[in-house]
Amino acid sequence: MSLKPYSKLPELNTANVLLVENEEEFHKKLSEAIVRQENNVNVTVRLARCLPLPVENAESRPRIDLVVFIVHLRSEQSLLSAEASLKHLDSGYFLGKVCFLVTGARSGTVCYERLASIRKTAASLNCPLLMTEDKTTEGVHTAAQRVLNILKVSAGLVPMASGLYLSTLIRCTMPTDSDWQNQD
Amino acid sequence: MDDSVKQLLRQIIRKIPSSKLQSTLTKWDHLSKRQFRSLDFTQPKWLFCENLLSLCEENDLTVKQVTELDMLYHIEHPNQGTWYACQLVDAEEETLSSELVHFRESFKKHLKFLISHVAVKTKKNDDDSIWIRIAWGDNFTRPNHLKPSYVVHHLQTPYVFVSGLTAKYKPLLHQALVLSTRYGSITDVHLSGRCLSALRDLLMRQYKQVFPTKYPRPLQERNPLLSNPNIENEHMKHTENRLQMAAEAFGDGALPKLETAVYKLQTKYRDNGNEMLSGREEPFRGVVRFTSSNLLESLKSCVSSGMASAPVTPLLSSITQKGRNYFVITDKAPEISHTPGPKM
Repeated sequence: MSLKPYSKLPELNTANVLLVENEEEFHKKLSEAIVRQENNVNVTVRLARCLPLPVENAESRPRIDLVVFIVHLRSEQSLLSAEASLKHLDSGYFLGKVCFLVTGARSGTVCYERLASIRKTAASLNCPLLMTEDKTTEGVHTAAQRVLNILKVSAGLVPMASGLYLSTLIRCTMPTDSDWQNQD
Repeated sequence: MDDSVKQLLRQIIRKIPSSKLQSTLTKWDHLSKRQFRSLDFTQPKWLFCENLLSLCEENDLTVKQVTELDMLYHIEHPNQGTWYACQLVDAEEETLSSELVHFRESFKKHLKFLISHVAVKTKKNDDDSIWIRIAWGDNFTRPNHLKPSYVVHHLQTPYVFVSGLTAKYKPLLHQALVLSTRYGSITDVHLSGRCLSALRDLLMRQYKQVFPTKYPRPLQERNPLLSNPNIENEHMKHTENRLQMAAEAFGDGALPKLETAVYKLQTKYRDNGNEMLSGREEPFRGVVRFTSSNLLESLKSCVSSGMASAPVTPLLSSITQKGRNYFVITDKAPEISHTPGPKM
């Protein structure tokens, strides 16, 4: 049973976001920051470890406007779990309702191939990829703000903008080969 | 005071760290008040040791009194060296409990009968256990007080904990214990560790145990943090299940501190990928060793965070259920076999 974007009715002035993370540590902090920051809109956050979601919650679950995959670059398992969960998402979500959040990209010990691989996935799906800092409160705060901005657009609460337009604008792109050589 | 006694005292003082010296000497009580007050605990240790030695010479202390100091230090700080747990089995009809005085006299008598060159010292501790310090010697040497064995026996239980025992004297000690407590025999429980209280708690089940219930406690009591109504965890039931299973297997609260768990495998190699190893007839011998500063706590968090599969495999949960940490796993029986443990 894959998650479908438009199978439920939307509610007035609400936005719902689903945070998917294998390690289940960052999404708690992020959810609290998101809920704390937003005052005008009713924001609900659902936390999950992986998809597919348990069937028992299907009736009580509201319509999910944005699915955020949190990937920690320090662990291979994180990346594999996120990629496996992608299969359980209905294709309707990939038109502006999916976002990737990557932590630990600044660390010197991070595996470069993982970052390249997640960028390739995000680029092929035309989804935005955000780099975040999860250890400091300012980092969590900033991440929450960015996620909220994307969420409001995906939920249709921003006039004249839709998730599809926004995702096309800020989607992840892979640098061309000449750029890679310059960096090395 | 004899030279050997002085040397012994020096060695003992050297082993005791300076921070614990004052409390141990207070308990020792073989120095008069004036002498004790004259000691300066801020001096460097070698100087302090010389002062103490001169004071002891004034009092003309014997070997017995000097070794009492060693014993007091060990009773206060038992977590040095490895302790091994043994269990007395086959109780005779009359023995339901051993009386302290009777056990003490009987044990000394039996041990001296088996090997005459020993120095035995017993002390009753507050928590209803008896500590025995044994210095072994033989026909050519006097009892060696620098390498004593310590035995702790809880009188109302069949458990005995031993530390510092060499294989040479093990049968003698076991024989003396069996005879003095009037049991049939003594077996090794295959439980060892550095922390004596942890071994005791594990064997006597004195940690907080969790029993399987059909209706576990509701979620709100366990997770007050997630009270924000806008945040909801999809997998809350699964997480709760995992926590419950981890607690059932390992217990709740502060768990006994074990350091290692060793699994000796004597099973056939069973992996479809590797053809060279999987076709053989003879068992594949391997040893799996888990080491940690607090093993049970780390295993429990592995299960509750989802890294290990829940329900907990019986191989891991037998550590607490059976109270042992050395296992030999063979192919034939699905239970874990009771073959002899490591040599002490």
